[in-house]
Amino acid sequence: MITVQHLRRCFGTLVAVDDVSFEVREGEIFGLLGPNGAGKTTTINMICGVLRPDGGRVLVDGGDIWLDPVGVKRKLGVVPQEIALYEDLTARDNLEFWGSLYGLVGAELRSRVDEVLSRVGLSERARDRVKGFSGGMKRRLNLCMGLLHRPRLLLLDEPTVGIDPQARLNILEVIREVAAAGTTVLYTTHYMDEAEQLCQRIAIIDHGKILTLGSLEELTRLAGEGEVVRLSGSFDANRASDCLSRIDGITVHAVSDGRAVLSVAAGGRGLTAVLPDLLGAELGLDDVSIQPPSLQSVFIRLTGRELRD
Amino acid sequence: MAVAAIVRRDLLRFVRSPLRTVLMFAIPLVMAAIFSLVFGGDGADAISIRVLVWDEDGSLLSALLQGGADDPRVDQRLDLVPVGAEGYQMMEEGEASALVHIPAGFTEAFLKGQPATLEVVKNPAQRFLPQVVEEGVSVGAVALSQLSRVFRPELEQIHSMLSGDGLPGDLAIGAMAVAVNQKLRRLERSLFPPAVKLETVTLKPAGDAVAADVGILSYFLPGLAIMGILFLAQAATRDVLLERESGLLRHLLTAPVTVGQYLVGKCLSVFLATAAGFAILVLLGLVAGVTWGPPLAAAALVLASSLAAAGTLLLIMSLVGSQRQGDALTTIVIIVWSLLGGAFIPISQIPRFLHPICRATLTYWATDGFTTLILGGGGLTDIVPNLVVLTACGALFLLLGALFLRRRILAGGT
Repeated sequence: MITVQHLRRCFGTLVAVDDVSFEVREGEIFGLLGPNGAGKTTTINMICGVLRPDGGRVLVDGGDIWLDPVGVKRKLGVVPQEIALYEDLTARDNLEFWGSLYGLVGAELRSRVDEVLSRVGLSERARDRVKGFSGGMKRRLNLCMGLLHRPRLLLLDEPTVGIDPQARLNILEVIREVAAAGTTVLYTTHYMDEAEQLCQRIAIIDHGKILTLGSLEELTRLAGEGEVVRLSGSFDANRASDCLSRIDGITVHAVSDGRAVLSVAAGGRGLTAVLPDLLGAELGLDDVSIQPPSLQSVFIRLTGRELRD
Repeated sequence: MAVAAIVRRDLLRFVRSPLRTVLMFAIPLVMAAIFSLVFGGDGADAISIRVLVWDEDGSLLSALLQGGADDPRVDQRLDLVPVGAEGYQMMEEGEASALVHIPAGFTEAFLKGQPATLEVVKNPAQRFLPQVVEEGVSVGAVALSQLSRVFRPELEQIHSMLSGDGLPGDLAIGAMAVAVNQKLRRLERSLFPPAVKLETVTLKPAGDAVAADVGILSYFLPGLAIMGILFLAQAATRDVLLERESGLLRHLLTAPVTVGQYLVGKCLSVFLATAAGFAILVLLGLVAGVTWGPPLAAAALVLASSLAAAGTLLLIMSLVGSQRQGDALTTIVIIVWSLLGGAFIPISQIPRFLHPICRATLTYWATDGFTTLILGGGGLTDIVPNLVVLTACGALFLLLGALFLRRRILAGGT
């Protein structure tokens, strides 16, 4: 449904997106996971035709958005990261305006507006000005804008940023429903749990580059199916590096004063064998936390850093 | 379709924010009303001068002096309040513009030809009104002095008659009347007709134009309305920056809308909002008694002025980097153009060396057009130059503004 080939975009000397390539298959929920500033929004902006790439190209359902912008955009529904609503208009005004841009008119437009408002639980507030909405309500209305014209492809750029858990659950539920109805979804996020719960395939992006891509199972396998162990204590970085390097069956990802992150290699000695060595290393440990294989461990393995919210 | 949707949305936003729109209309209307009240009072509500009169003399002459204020033309402006010695205290408390004190023996001294004194106490907190009272009393004092000199013998005779026992006899009064009459006859040749005659002439407009009989609001509202629509256009074009800064434009361009359609829609909505605002101001002006001139000519001028306002503001907004910069720059332009273009004061009152600069403002061409229609009794043909300048500049500025914005948007400046 989407083919991204060697996409590149610079802002001055900053390379925001660097040779990014991936494909999104029809009907799947594809996740683009990465920390803030990784290049997710720039990639989305190039896919939806707002930003012209410096290199590479994007095909949406076989069409090039820069050659047939109106035709390709009709197939797209975009939910931007920022709240793109006119606050002095009502929820219905906003949606009717947006629908009319896609050629919806009259009774059909009104029924679509009613449908999407009902879907996100905002029917009661249809005639209220957006100015009085909470952050979560605005996010839900923002989502409606992308769904109104029933697009074949839905691009969602961090649609759950800064909202309460209930609104977040509602948004994720709506996205699942839309995908179940056959809409292809490209979903960017820096929340690992969202990517894990929602996406069939995930691309991890950092510093403008795709680091890896695959299903959740494939990615965790890539991580070595080993647990991630975090240590904290009163040790200094040099001493900890020295001690940890002498323990077999572990891979050290990051060490700083008082903190260390390592993973237990799959197929090796196993966590139960490694733990006594760690505890006996006289590092003055205060805390040891163990995390099962996850996207977090994949990200750590790939970047040596944690993906923070 | 997309253009119509954008225009509809923008106009709907004006409707949904009535307070902002009402304020836009209120500013020129209130200013015009204030200007009219200040400069156009019809006399009924004119300032009245409150004067305290302490008459210790209590004679016929002092009564005559006060009676001079009974002239209807003076009476409307003068509020004479008889007081006693407490008048000084009232002056201390600022209750009047002046106190006129006629001391005891004033008439006696006048008739005897001795120096007679009138005292005027002025309110120091006021500048203009006490001066008026002082001048008025000075004129009265000069008149009495001349009277005293010309009729000195007769006045002394009157004094001796009044100071004698009992009433003067008929013969004495008759002789006095004859003497006064003879003196007046001798003076008549010198007094009448007056050597200097005052004649007031109201100038007519040059050429065949006929001065329209218009209310004072008609002088001020057109210029201030033009300033008002500039502010209206400022609010409408500010949206372009707001949409750029808030991400609304970026989102809009993910829909099947081209940059060209967006800009056409934006230009149209800015023009329509401005023209609709001007039309409402014209209607409100009509209700308030403003004569806008021939309807067709006035409508053409409203449209041309709205186009000029929309184009000017869009061009400025397309050149600035942020909404804050846009607000600051456009407000300066609007105020300066309004001052130089005749929105506040007629061009004729502006120093001549500034006139070329005044003519470089679009406010001048709009205000001048309305002045021709309203005060000069002109028609459509008389304002053709104004219409051409306003329309051409408005369209050119709108086009340039749209092109600058397009370049920015396509360069990724959304």
